[in-house]
Amino acid sequence: MTTTGKRTLLGYVAFCGLILVLPFLLRGNSYLLNKSALYMALAMATVALSFTWGYAGILNLGQAVSFGIGAYAMAMHLKLVASAGNPGGLPDFMTWNSVGTLPLVWTPFHSLLVSVILGIGVSVLVSTLIGWFIFRARISGVFVAIITLALLVVVNLVVVTEQGLTAGWNGITNLADVTVGGVDIGSYGFGFYYLVGITLVVVLLLGWYATRTKTGLVLRAINSNTQRARYLGYDVAAYETFAYASSAGVAAIAGMYYAVGNSFASPTFMAVPFSLSIVIWCAVGGRRSLIAAAIGALVVNAIQGALSSDLLDVSNLVIGALFVIIVLFLPEGIVPEIGGAFRRIWTSLVGYSGARPHTPKERMPGQGTSKFTGGQK
Amino acid sequence: MNDNVHLSVDGVWAIFDRFVAVRDVRFNIRQGELRCLIGPNGAGKSTLLDLICGKVIPAKGNIIYEGKDITRTPEYKRSRLGVGRKFQVPMVFPDLTVEENLAVADNLRARVWSGLGGLWYGENPAERAEVLNTVGLENRRDVKARQLSHGEIQWLEMAMLLVRDSGLLLMDEPTAGMTAEETAKTGEIFSRLKGKHTLIVVEHDMQFVRQIAETVTVLHQGQILAEGDIDSVQNSKEVQRVYLGSVEAENASVD
Repeated sequence: MTTTGKRTLLGYVAFCGLILVLPFLLRGNSYLLNKSALYMALAMATVALSFTWGYAGILNLGQAVSFGIGAYAMAMHLKLVASAGNPGGLPDFMTWNSVGTLPLVWTPFHSLLVSVILGIGVSVLVSTLIGWFIFRARISGVFVAIITLALLVVVNLVVVTEQGLTAGWNGITNLADVTVGGVDIGSYGFGFYYLVGITLVVVLLLGWYATRTKTGLVLRAINSNTQRARYLGYDVAAYETFAYASSAGVAAIAGMYYAVGNSFASPTFMAVPFSLSIVIWCAVGGRRSLIAAAIGALVVNAIQGALSSDLLDVSNLVIGALFVIIVLFLPEGIVPEIGGAFRRIWTSLVGYSGARPHTPKERMPGQGTSKFTGGQK
Repeated sequence: MNDNVHLSVDGVWAIFDRFVAVRDVRFNIRQGELRCLIGPNGAGKSTLLDLICGKVIPAKGNIIYEGKDITRTPEYKRSRLGVGRKFQVPMVFPDLTVEENLAVADNLRARVWSGLGGLWYGENPAERAEVLNTVGLENRRDVKARQLSHGEIQWLEMAMLLVRDSGLLLMDEPTAGMTAEETAKTGEIFSRLKGKHTLIVVEHDMQFVRQIAETVTVLHQGQILAEGDIDSVQNSKEVQRVYLGSVEAENASVD
């Protein structure tokens, strides 16, 4: 393994360790535990985006579609659990919308396992189908962004208008807690925190592995020079569809946790502002590294959370300004830039970086890849 | 001539709108042969390579590779079958290191799922090291391709074809922009490759052609004008007329 590979692995271990000890640093404060768990769920969706955007060069502006599918799958299950005492087990909002019997699509969601499988499965299936059409047609760059954004708007519109099925604008609220094998996991305790935390760690480790396999390398190659990859015998569309669909699966899991942690699922989970926020977190942290994307999501959300309790309206302004500054001055994201700064300081102190003769700086004037298409040429 | 035919181009036509770029070209290439394609600008040399590698589908005619009709096979499948192309403009992966470029080129596992079976670094590291030594890039292993010099990029691209063991190598002006020294080194590499690989080389540098070629095919206005060893081709009246008198010929075609 190369020196940089070892250093990256060290970063992963440190980050995962921090996730595991954080609850003790928070002294078990249930409000903060819940908030941290929610942020980690958002980080998971951001890591998934970094895999498609940073590695494969697919800017998916519709990441919230998968996130929303997961969130609604989980919310439907928990709503049914909460409505068990109602006449016919019918959720309250259906009664308000004069839906007499439970719609057929809701029935599988009585089971938690089936709901989880459906949440991930539907999300992966939808992305595989859409990805197949997009990438078979050799659509790339900004056009992928437009199509995925349009998909997001369509899905959002359907969810909002199908009130009897989805509760429309209000979203599915008043959910039950998740119980696995008779144990109530709740959403404010250590249990929920560690469930989300360990999932994030697993996602990061699997991601670390996947990006270093041949398939991960080929995705980066496709991003760097699509045509060349095609002539080398790679079925580019299959690789791109894989990246897009696997990312969707992870985003769906993140959405499920987010619904549990919030005890509701609403159309805002699959709305344009939210979906674009994921892109911003990814860009702020550093889209070319999964862990940097995770850190970006955690940092931005923590700042936003802290600010919004004091300066409600200004918080978005501050986040917006932060984004502009980072895109202008730290185009690779904060984590790689800070890492680079540390390395330079270390080198100047010790005089030797410990690594193989490193190339000075990867970006050269006029040669940097375009920021928002991941370097499509 | 019919035994050991590796590639057979059988009466292919390439037509863009109403412009005929390649007109009824047919030739056979033996296993392990090194064939040079020469001809004035616009003769259809690059288009012919495009037809063989699958970038352009012929309007008429067939392309038979290793006894298999690949006329309508998509380019990535042709590449898997062993048709490797080196482009006129070097095409590497600028954001990947030299070694990563080689690992991508070495696609024994070209499929998504099988590619998830292990870390790429563990696959054939010895073979990559050997190829890097062959082209003299062993000290540039961890450098991003975008930081290589023009010559080094050309070596890297050749290394990428070597590491995948392509049976048929299509080289489009491999020495373009190289110094005399680099050109000579390229010739050495080609001589080492021939026999093991079948090569089709499009080249303008006649001195280089003389250094490497067994058989030369001359194209002119999309058609084969002459074929044979370098001396017979250079002594051909028609070839001389095309090369020396192309201005005259153009003028003649205007009126």
